[in-house]
Amino acid sequence: MAEIVMAYSASHAPMMTADPGSAPREKADNFFSALEKVRDKAKETGVQAIVMMTGEHFTNFFLDGLPQVAIGLDEEHLGPPEVWLQVPKKMVPSDAGLAAHITASLIEQGQQPALSHGMKVDHGFMTVYYWLDPTMELPMVPVVLNCTTPPLMTTKQFWDFGVAIGNAIRSYDGLERVGLVAGGGLSHFVGEPRVGDIDEEFDRWFLDQLGRGDLSEILSVPNDVLAEAGNGTGEVRAWVALAAAMGSAPGHVLAYEAVYEWINGMGVVLYDGDQPAASQT
Amino acid sequence: MTLYMVQRCLFDHLRRLEAAGDGPRPEIVTEGYALTDEEKRAVTEPDIGAIYAMGAHPVIINGFCRALGYKRADYRPLLEQASGDTARRRTPWQKS
Repeated sequence: MAEIVMAYSASHAPMMTADPGSAPREKADNFFSALEKVRDKAKETGVQAIVMMTGEHFTNFFLDGLPQVAIGLDEEHLGPPEVWLQVPKKMVPSDAGLAAHITASLIEQGQQPALSHGMKVDHGFMTVYYWLDPTMELPMVPVVLNCTTPPLMTTKQFWDFGVAIGNAIRSYDGLERVGLVAGGGLSHFVGEPRVGDIDEEFDRWFLDQLGRGDLSEILSVPNDVLAEAGNGTGEVRAWVALAAAMGSAPGHVLAYEAVYEWINGMGVVLYDGDQPAASQT
Repeated sequence: MTLYMVQRCLFDHLRRLEAAGDGPRPEIVTEGYALTDEEKRAVTEPDIGAIYAMGAHPVIINGFCRALGYKRADYRPLLEQASGDTARRRTPWQKS
């Protein structure tokens, strides 16, 4: 059976690849150094494939049919569609066996992911993935989450989803070493009057919970209150799901910077790989 | 006619721009969408504040502004003006 040998959450501001030099040097270096540590961890663990969760940005779905969760099921996925992202366009390999197994397992566990063929992997995936593997050869199973279009799943529901996706990965017998990645967040405001603001108090409050491995506070926050931290901040749902998949283990907060030039709170949280009895029911 | 039609019109326009690549930029198309005169005016002029006030999705507004070449400093005031004074709620993470 597969183990989750590495897991991390990272912000995915498009500017981190489109125009990285626009950020203050020290802040950018701190954030990118954290991503380099993650890359080293991936090499050290010999991860064979990753499963990556991130928010949907109307790249694959629109208001005529918008799933709360969808899984890309193909052998490869085209990314990124944004020509300005400064990430080469490429068919990114996936692991269709793992994707199919996760989908089936989630449904058996009471989740209802949508099935998606022809999924494209936009900046939500590619900014973070490109830093993990610049060759873009590491197989990535994409999972998109609705984080911006109400009614939204609550953080508690994404916690339950995360437990289920962790169980799904760990019950796959086609690979031994899988990574789990969450992209998105931290606080940011998009296409609304507070565009450009960053809620640093929220970011530090949330990161503190991840560092302690106790998310009880954010799990009790209603959706409309969470939105006060930014209409893009809801992407932390992916971080919550990842923390759940890792069984409430404390995360290592490798970096946090409020990068106003990128209109985004930028953070990286890395988790130790599976420990005995990490799987939950 | 409906907010969905406004959003559909903008979304389809953004996809056409994406497909055009470096070629000639297509004009926004309003034919085929059930839009009121005011909605047509807002999307063709364009009037970002009015589009926001109608309730268009912020991801669409963000993409539309970017396609127009607006910088954040260009369109934030338009959105602020359209929203008026909105009181912020007390949140569990606020210290001050």
